[in-house]
Amino acid sequence: MASGAHPAFGALGPRVSGLGWLKSLGRHRLRTALSIAGIAISGAMLLDMVMLSGGIEKSFAEMLLARGYQIRLTPKGTLPFDTEATLSGAGELIATLRRDTAIESAGAVLGTSLYGRVRDSLVTLFGYGIQPEAQSLYVLESGRDLLPGDSLSILLSTPAARLLGASIGDTVTLVGRLDPQVVTASVGRRLVVRGMVHWVYDYRGQPSVGTVLPVMQTLANERARDRASLLIVKVRDDRAVDEVATRLGTAFPRLEVNSVADLVRHFKQRLVYFRQLSYILGSMSLIVTVLLIATLLTITVNERLGEIATLRAIGISQATVIRQVLVEGTALTIIGGALGIVLGIATARYLDSILTSFPGLPAAFSFFVPRRESLATAGLVLLVTGSLAGLYPAWLAARAPIAATLRAEAT
Amino acid sequence: MTGETVLLAHDLSKDYPMNGEAVHALRGISLEVRSGEYVAVVGPSGSGKSTLLQLIGGIDIPSRGSVEIMGTSLGSLSDRQLTRLRLDRLGFVFQRFHLLPVLTARENVELPMAEAGMKGRERVARALELLGYVGLKHRAGHMVTQLSGGEMQRVAIARALANRPALLLADEPTGELDAATGEEILALFSRLNRDGTTLVVVTHDERLAAQAGRVIHMLDGRITPL
Repeated sequence: MASGAHPAFGALGPRVSGLGWLKSLGRHRLRTALSIAGIAISGAMLLDMVMLSGGIEKSFAEMLLARGYQIRLTPKGTLPFDTEATLSGAGELIATLRRDTAIESAGAVLGTSLYGRVRDSLVTLFGYGIQPEAQSLYVLESGRDLLPGDSLSILLSTPAARLLGASIGDTVTLVGRLDPQVVTASVGRRLVVRGMVHWVYDYRGQPSVGTVLPVMQTLANERARDRASLLIVKVRDDRAVDEVATRLGTAFPRLEVNSVADLVRHFKQRLVYFRQLSYILGSMSLIVTVLLIATLLTITVNERLGEIATLRAIGISQATVIRQVLVEGTALTIIGGALGIVLGIATARYLDSILTSFPGLPAAFSFFVPRRESLATAGLVLLVTGSLAGLYPAWLAARAPIAATLRAEAT
Repeated sequence: MTGETVLLAHDLSKDYPMNGEAVHALRGISLEVRSGEYVAVVGPSGSGKSTLLQLIGGIDIPSRGSVEIMGTSLGSLSDRQLTRLRLDRLGFVFQRFHLLPVLTARENVELPMAEAGMKGRERVARALELLGYVGLKHRAGHMVTQLSGGEMQRVAIARALANRPALLLADEPTGELDAATGEEILALFSRLNRDGTTLVVVTHDERLAAQAGRVIHMLDGRITPL
């Protein structure tokens, strides 16, 4: 008698085994379709949660590194643009930084609110004072960039241009802080629009303008003490960023020195609840997937017990039966998971558009970042758990008592 | 035209627990079937015919006694070995056909051959040959749900013959068929036996019993003389 090892599943050609079993998914098409829809929805939720859990910080880091500057120096105890605190002696600090051979480029930035004059009224704007030779805040969209020391020119964002009714070549009037007693401008400047730019940290629709630092300092009444909101530093060698940041921290004890990695760490601490929430929701969606697949396969196996008993009677091995049920579970997971990825990306885009339209959030910021790793992680986790969900029904199928089942079928 | 011993059952008994009491489905049955024989097992419902078939087919375990197929004692085999023996040495035909409804007639016949490791092309050729033997070659590509009861039973017979079994076991093979269709199956069984297949058929059908070479009567779990 032939006994022992025999090709259990591998020998079963797909035409009569795998496919045959998969065909059985079509026996109850509506039920199968509903299950696949359920798996797709929970798979989409899992993917969204995976994208959300790592996406915010990834997006944050990408935004900070958009122009390649890896270190920020801010007033002690603050984070960039977190408060209105400023540091003094910006020019001297920048000169010191630029003397450091490990530093490729350094610049100062002042952020302040100001006003633009449109006929007889004023519109509120946000102003960036920059050093054009070391800027990390914008991407030029049209026109030309500011030249170092160009105190007669200005850059506008599209919303600012719309608000001011100005385009390239036009002259606009900026007004600094208002005197609260008489509500009149303390200082004003007429500047020519040189270019239209996209400000990396602007929220959607933010009307921002940019001038060279001294002009903005004058408008903000910060010129005398040469104040800036932050200093930015580009290190020549990416691998030396931490070492340079530590050195700068020691050299400038009055300042807060943060590398992008430090800022991401701070950011992550603030987002810890967000991440926990995404883990919980992701786990729940996985459990729903497992329950869906296990329930469907258990029902299917119970309906087919007679068939399975017959297969066992004619010599189909337990291993084959188990593998067939697992194949069915895996197929459901793959189909549902593939749809889930499409649905998850579409949902993430929609949710992202809602969340990033909240005031105060940079438009370049994303909550859901579809990365290859997150897609692969979600897909793999779903595939493994979905396949494992078939274990119980597979065990049920393999353990079906042949004789008793056939007797029950016959009566 | 009989030869070596294919089946040897000795003192077979089977008890089922029911409502706390033992039901004696089989009581000490001994039976020998030799190669080329056509044996019909007849008896009223509950006489133990199907239980006997399940025990000699290795799909149930006797409470006492032993079964040998081609000299191999079933009691000495593991579940995996028993499964392999059923695949290689035995063929089963059931009253309700039990074909896979999602497969075609040919694919159903291919199943046991695929499990036995036969290569695709050889398997297809053998399946078509068997379907030709039972008169259904022209229906090979049809889903079994498109076939009549008689056709389904013929596909089930072809499937049972797939791995050239030493013994074909049939449990009420005409039980679900009308008289005319049943006749076709009877004729097929006769032809099978003439062509050398050893058959043990459990039946209520007197016509089927009448064409068997040997008839075994059962009553209350025992073999009884006529």
